[in-house]
Order: sequence, then structure tokens, then C-alpha cells
Amino acid sequence: MVATPVRTPAEQALAARYPAERTSLPGTADVIAIRDAAFGGVDKSGLPHRRVEDWKYTDLRARLKTFPPAAGAADVARLLIAAPAVEGDKARRLVIANGRYRPELSDLDGLEHGLSIFSLATALEAGDATVLAALKLEDGVATNTAVALNTAFMTDGLVITVADGAEIGRPVELVHIAEGEPAASTAVRHLVTVGKGSRLTLIETIESLDTVAHHSNVMTALEVGDGAKVDHIRLQLEPDEAVSLTSLVAKIGREASFDTFNAALGAGLARAQIFAEFVGRDSRAGFRGITMLSGRRHADTTLFLVHGAENCQSRELYKAVIDDEARSAFAGRIAVPAHAQKTDARMMTASLLLSEEAEADAKPELEIFADDVQCGHGATCGAIDDDLLFYLLSRGIPKAEAESMLILAFLGEAIDEIQNQAVHDALIHRVEGWLKARAA
Amino acid sequence: MLEIKNLHARIGDREILKGLSLTVKPGEVHAIMGPNGAGKSTLSYILAGKDDYEITEGEVLLNGQSILELSPNERSVAGLFLAFQYPIEIPGVATMTFLKAALNSHRKAKGQDELTTPEFMKLVKGVAEKLNITSDMLKRPVNVGFSGGEKKRAEIMQMALLQPSICILDETDSGLDIDALKVVSEGVNALRSPDRAFVVITHYQRLLDHIVPDIVHVLSDGRIVRTGGPELALDLEKNGYAAYVADAAA
Repeated sequence: MVATPVRTPAEQALAARYPAERTSLPGTADVIAIRDAAFGGVDKSGLPHRRVEDWKYTDLRARLKTFPPAAGAADVARLLIAAPAVEGDKARRLVIANGRYRPELSDLDGLEHGLSIFSLATALEAGDATVLAALKLEDGVATNTAVALNTAFMTDGLVITVADGAEIGRPVELVHIAEGEPAASTAVRHLVTVGKGSRLTLIETIESLDTVAHHSNVMTALEVGDGAKVDHIRLQLEPDEAVSLTSLVAKIGREASFDTFNAALGAGLARAQIFAEFVGRDSRAGFRGITMLSGRRHADTTLFLVHGAENCQSRELYKAVIDDEARSAFAGRIAVPAHAQKTDARMMTASLLLSEEAEADAKPELEIFADDVQCGHGATCGAIDDDLLFYLLSRGIPKAEAESMLILAFLGEAIDEIQNQAVHDALIHRVEGWLKARAA
Repeated sequence: MLEIKNLHARIGDREILKGLSLTVKPGEVHAIMGPNGAGKSTLSYILAGKDDYEITEGEVLLNGQSILELSPNERSVAGLFLAFQYPIEIPGVATMTFLKAALNSHRKAKGQDELTTPEFMKLVKGVAEKLNITSDMLKRPVNVGFSGGEKKRAEIMQMALLQPSICILDETDSGLDIDALKVVSEGVNALRSPDRAFVVITHYQRLLDHIVPDIVHVLSDGRIVRTGGPELALDLEKNGYAAYVADAAA
């Protein structure tokens, strides 16, 4: 007798949605084939659960109660009056509303020489060979559930190319907004290629104008060319009702410099995945982020880093502040193949638990096959230090304010690594808002 | 000003203070001397409100108000200041942010408006200068990277800014060289006034050469076992605590 797994309501919704939507999603027959393959994998295995190692702490099967329908068109009038998530960063804002790029709401004036921006949907419809090639992912990435769902359902996104040697001074900001009710799903894919010796600051914000259970799935595939310098920052800001899956797939070329920062500040269920690989030698990268959780929220940061070339340096620093009954999970895996000598990697994760019921799970892993490397990892988890708190109190500072100071100091170590001042300040402002709400 | 009446305190099963009584009047400087383990630091922590200790008996009044039920920050704004034996390093909290938060908490408690940034800067710089605290030190996180002497000077700076009515100095001389001891003592002496009192806790006579006490107490085994004038400190320096330890044990 063969046991038939019971499909959860979310799995049933997925199984019903995909066949109905596959041909109306943008793309040529080749694209449909790629979508079919991606969806087929998910359909066959079902949503991952806690016995699937990569999803151990985030049982998607248990946690995803539904999979809402695809989002309709957003109300432009509401988008126009929405306050930007980051003020004063002078960024070139590109708006993706309800899963669709909206050039009419985006800032495309005076595009810098060497910067090209176009819609993924258009490229998929045209069967653009380069774009199609970029959709093909390595097995380990392609079959990841969040990635596969993104591939199956992606409606649009941006294809951004920075030509060799182009220094794009003005940050490019991808503004993802979910608008409207009832809850809907979006899947957005960006393909960003930064040429040799080029520079780019890429900011992503993900937010929702309505406090409903939107599902967003944003994936950014980023190629950092040889000698390029790329700074990537994502602010994930959805309301507590939302589900947020993000994936960053980064290939880092030779003598390149790459930094990515993820601020997990929103959504009731959030998972930020990074699949990064050094594909050229003598490069450096920083992977950092903060998570702030309250209520019953759950946030997962999962980093897979392949130190695939010689003499590359990476620093990983993830900090989480967890209150109430919230739960944070961090999994970081660094693989160093035998040829990647002189690898220097240091991974650190620290969690600050603000309540008895808060939970933090950390799973740092190193897989080292080279013999001349420096790799380290550390994980800490604890409450606010009583001695530090007593010192602040003894100077007259009230407890709530003293705790806020210490929490901000804890997160500051990561936040202060953000180079873009406007984003740094915007993030501090958000963190202070969170702390004020907690103290109230 | 400060009245400690028959104070008993324990940590776990161990009783540390066993009926300590002390009365400090405005303008006075009291020195509390005693051997290791007598309960000197416990006394200072209990006065400041650290909650590691269980008070089993007795009371503490500050300007007539019982303070044992007050939280540490409430005691601070009520006018009590503890200069720590080991000032705590707080990475990530800028010294100026900390000082401003402390000062504004005190002002708020007194119903005063918060200081503007220029007012605050001027105030801090004035106080810091007298204690040889450089602007570089002020730019660092609280006590981080400070030498022993710098930490103690920073404590006195905080004291000068917060203008407490009762100052508890817990072994402020420990870890100080002669020059630093002088600077710290001058800082303390500058704050002496008819409406402010000090309790100076120390092992050694040395500090009392610079901060001259009105009254000296010997604390041994959780109690004040002897009280006298400044000459008592000289006697202790010469003869040690042996006689008092034996007395207390008897």
C-alpha cells in the first residue's frame, strides 16, 4: 500500500493555481517549460517541513496556512501618496506594485551612462536569450522551494545591467509594494548584472499598504563582475499578517567587493535566503543583517555561501532581537572546496532574548575541504546583561529607556556597517520606532 | 540625609549585612573602612538598588524617604549616586548619549525641560575639562577602552553632572596611580558642600589623605564595629584590621 501524503490547504491552492495560470503568466514556451519544471518539483515534494534539513526551523508546510490568489493591479492613486520607506537617499526609485513593474511611477529620468533598466515580463515575452539563460539556476538553488515558487509564478521584475567600468553614483532602489485587499500573492524576479570594475548600490524595500496576509516572494539574482563593488541593502517591512520570502543569489567575481544587509523588520512569517558564491579569487564580501521580532512573528535567515575561489575574505554578522513569543532562526553554511586556499571567513550570529518565551535557533556550519584557511563561527544567545542595565539605571535612566539603549547598541554593531547614510538613518529610525512601541 | 537602620541583607543563604546602622548628615564625609569580605561593596550595591540581594530587616532613608522599595533609577533621581568600584563598559552606547539620557532623566524628574544640545555640550565640556577628560574619551562608548584611572574620572564627571545629595564612592582609589588619585580627589573635594554628603568606602588610608573624612567607621562582618575621627584611619593603617576581625568573630 502506498501512503498518499495529505495536501495542506496551501498545497491544494498551489496545485489549483499553477495549471490555471501557467499560460497567462508572461513568457514564451521556453519560459513555460522552465516554470513547469520548477513547479513540478514543488508539487511533487510538497512544501518543505521540519524534517527537511534546510527548513528545520521554518516548517513551511505547517506555517503556510493558505496560498492566496495572484495579486490584481494596484490602485495607482494610493501608490502615489504612499510615503517612501527611505527618505532622503536620493535613490532612483523603481516601483514594483503587486508584482508588476510600474515605469510610470518610477524614476527613469537621466539614466546614467552604462545603466540599463527594463522589465523582466517584457524580456520573458520576447524570449530574450540572455534573460532565459539567467533563469537557469544550479540544482541546489533551483529546487529550493521559495526559489522554485518564484520561478513558477514570477510576473515581472527588473533586468538591470551596469556596463563595464560604469560607476553608478545614485543608488537604485527597488520599491516593492503590495496594495489592496483581500490578501494576494506576488512573485517578483530581478536580474542584476554589474559589469567589470563597476559600482552599484542596490536598495530593496518590501512593504504593504494594507494589513492583510499578502504573500510576497522576491528574488534577486545578482552578478558582481570582476573588480566591481556592489552594496546591497534590503529593508523588509511588511505588516505582521504578511508572509515574506526573499532570495538573493549572488555570484561574486574576481577582486570584487560585495556587501549585503538584510533588515528583517516585518511580516509574521519571513524567510530571507542568500545563496552566494565567490567565483573569482581575491574578493571580499560582507553578509550582515538584523532581525527584530515581537508578538508571535517568525523570521528565518538562511545563508549558503560557497567560498569557491582562492584568497577570498568574508564576514558574516547577523543579530536578532526577539520579544514576546517570537522566534528567530539563523542557519549559515559556508563551504570551502579543496582549491579555495587562503579562505578567510568569520561568521557570527547573536540573539538577544527579551522575554522568557522568545526563542532563537542558530545553526552555523562550516564545510572545509581546503587545508590553508581561516574559518570561524560563533553563536551567542542571551538576555540583556543585568550589570549593564544596572549601571544605566543607577544614573537615573528609566528601565525601558535603558533597555532600548542596550538593544540599539546590540544591533548597532551590524547596522553601523551600512555605508549608505540615508538607509542607515532610515533603519535606525525604524529600530527606534520599534523600541518606542515596545517601551510604551 | 542618609539613615541606615539595622540593615540585614543576604545573598542566597549567606548573610552579608548583619544589622548595619549609619547616619550621615548633610555636609559630612564618612569613610567606611574594613577588611575584604566585610560587606563594603554589598552595602554600596544595596544602597544603589542592585536586586541581587535580599533585604531581610531594617530600613534606609534618604532625606526622610524610605528608598528600599525604589528602583535604582528612582534612587538616582532622588539624589543618590554610586561611583562604581568597577565602572561598567557599555559597547555601542556613546558616552554623550548616555550622559544626556541620564541628565535629562534627572531634569524630567525635577519637572525641568530637557537641555538643548548646545547647553548640554557646554555643561559636559566644563565638567570634563576639570577632570582631565579629553573630548576623545567623550566620543568613545561608555567606559570602553578607558584605563582604570579614566574610568574613575568618568565616574566623578557623572557625579558632578548629576549633582546628587549623597555620593557613595566604592573603592574609588582602587587601580589609581598617585596622579590620578589626586585628580579624582580634587574632583570630589570640589563637590563638597554643606548640603551634600559622601560615604567613602576604601581599604586604605591613602585616599583619606586627599578626601579628608569627618567620621571614620570600621565595617567588619556586616556591622559597623567602631566609629571615630580621622585618626581612626591612621590607626587602621598602622595596626591593620586584625583586632576588629577578631572582635567580630568573637
